[in-house]
Amino acid sequence: MILVDKNTKVIVQGATGKMGSAHTKRMIEYGTNIVGGTTPGKGGETIHGKPVFDTVLEAVEKTGATCSCIFVPPYLALDAGMEALDAGIKLLVLITEGMPPQDTAKLVAQVKAKDAKLIGPNCPGIITPGQSLIGILPGSIFKSGPVGMVSKSGTLTYEIALALTESGLGQSTCVGTGGDPIKGLDYKEVLSMFEADPATQVIVMIGEIGGNAEEDAADYIKANIKKPVIGFIAGQTAPPGKRMGHAGAIISGGKGTAESKLESFRSNGVLVAMTPKEVAQQAAEALKQPVKAK
Amino acid sequence: MNLYEYEAKRIFAEAGIPVPPAARITKPEELAKVHFGYPLTLKCQVMAGGRGKAGGIKFAKDLNEGKSLVKDLMALTIKGSKTESLLVEPKMPIARELYLAVTLDRNRGCAIFIASAEGGIEIESSDNVLTEPIPYPYHGFAGRKLAQKLGLKGAVLNKVADIANKLYKVFENKDLDLAEINPLVITTGDDVVALDGKIIVNDDSIARQKSFAGMEESHLSELSVRERRAKMAGLNLVELEGNIGILCNGAGLTMATMDMVKGFGGDPGNFLDAGGGSDQKKTLEALELVNENPNVDVILLNILGGITACDEVAGALVQFMKRHPERKMIVRLRGNNQDIAEKMLSESGLKLYPDLEEAVKAAVEAAKSAGKKPVGAGKS
Repeated sequence: MILVDKNTKVIVQGATGKMGSAHTKRMIEYGTNIVGGTTPGKGGETIHGKPVFDTVLEAVEKTGATCSCIFVPPYLALDAGMEALDAGIKLLVLITEGMPPQDTAKLVAQVKAKDAKLIGPNCPGIITPGQSLIGILPGSIFKSGPVGMVSKSGTLTYEIALALTESGLGQSTCVGTGGDPIKGLDYKEVLSMFEADPATQVIVMIGEIGGNAEEDAADYIKANIKKPVIGFIAGQTAPPGKRMGHAGAIISGGKGTAESKLESFRSNGVLVAMTPKEVAQQAAEALKQPVKAK
Repeated sequence: MNLYEYEAKRIFAEAGIPVPPAARITKPEELAKVHFGYPLTLKCQVMAGGRGKAGGIKFAKDLNEGKSLVKDLMALTIKGSKTESLLVEPKMPIARELYLAVTLDRNRGCAIFIASAEGGIEIESSDNVLTEPIPYPYHGFAGRKLAQKLGLKGAVLNKVADIANKLYKVFENKDLDLAEINPLVITTGDDVVALDGKIIVNDDSIARQKSFAGMEESHLSELSVRERRAKMAGLNLVELEGNIGILCNGAGLTMATMDMVKGFGGDPGNFLDAGGGSDQKKTLEALELVNENPNVDVILLNILGGITACDEVAGALVQFMKRHPERKMIVRLRGNNQDIAEKMLSESGLKLYPDLEEAVKAAVEAAKSAGKKPVGAGKS
């Protein structure tokens, strides 16, 4: 497993809002070690039996939290993230969709300066099955096992996790890095963590059109990753110049196409799957092979 | 949101970036009131790029020629984008052209300057391009550093540095995705002037930028009527040529479903991502939008409920099928409250596919048999 386990102490920023409250409840039910929440002005109250604090600093001092799951409106997300970093939080899971990208860039710069990690924004979060779910992923789809997953997408991750789980393959950790063009953790950082993680034996990497993070990751895999990697790209039928839902999912100036990404996967030794079921078949195949030496 | 040139230049001028004197007109007779002296430049105000090559920029040597050009240019449509108005400016005595822009770099995760000592170019296809990461918080040396890297000297170096600094401030203060001056001209008198301007406002930031309030709907000209309706309803719709209408939750899953449709021999008619957590009302609007596309013979609904509740979707489906009983539907529904949804749909006679591949195959089959019917049959 990477980044989170059953001991990770998590607070929820925006815990008393509609989304925050509903998902705090689901995270607690899943078994995540939620130690409290924050909502300015509601300090002293409780939410689903956990204490609510006015500030992240107070929450960290009283609970020892190291991770924050952030459910705040888009224009408050930068402030919330900065507050978490200032209080010493080391892992930020930012679920919020629609954060202005210039705000994200400012947050990313501060995350680097504080030597912290950011997952998101506009992401489903992270799950180490059976131990900790931080975000909005449907816990019942996942089970513990040898497959590490990293993805830009939410529901597509669930679809592929479901295909894996139904074929008997569980997951070590699944990280949804988010669909925005400017964001925290990228493929390469997550891939290097999976490479070092003894519980992960095979890696599934889910990408989509737009940008060149997948091509970059493919080069990185060839040079640095010994574990088998299975790649999946969404958007082979997407027309150029159109934004496909995610802010980052756009083919512009002939760049960021699915073909380019699939080609760089193939030429760098990444196994390519064309459907969620094929991902599961390829993963099962790869698990039978001995680890290659590089 | 893309702005017209005249809107971009108005914003540049407010920020202190020099722009040519200009008048905006739509009728030939308005030209008589423009007193910049001849020759004049007449420029179509369109959203599409490649305006110069398409004949959207003309020069008039006198009023008579100008009037007839106004008539011709106002009738011009460039790449499907109608001329909204004309921008009239005095013709500039150009000594040199530069390119200058500020945008966000998704790989570096920060703002960058893009600049070139050659202006008026298509920046994507030029080799002579500088990209400079912009340190945050911003300081004015960034502009000077850039101007020097462009090989400038003396008064022109200072003027270009000042414009670069102001352009960055516009980019930051107005929440832009792109602020571009192409070309930035150096005149024979060593003045530096933004001859053309392009601004793309970040869509997620419009709501906090009061100066752009209410502009969005009139600036969506590249979208179809249904795509525009979807956008206003908070749905993401892109229409395509095929006959299988697709509705999913989540961008990645929607694209993957389209790809599978194509992979199994079908043709997607649209991309519709209803987003996470859509309720009954929003899902119903999404179904109607897919249904109204005349190309669509079959609708494939694929919902994997994480934050979307299956019973909300089922409620929308029941209502939709009452309105359109003949519409061929393939439905795959899994996740939260799936059991309630199944109960709600059991009376409708609708077959539910738990497996995505099976659902896609069924939709492709249904679309093929619909395609064999005589024209006009099978459409509600």
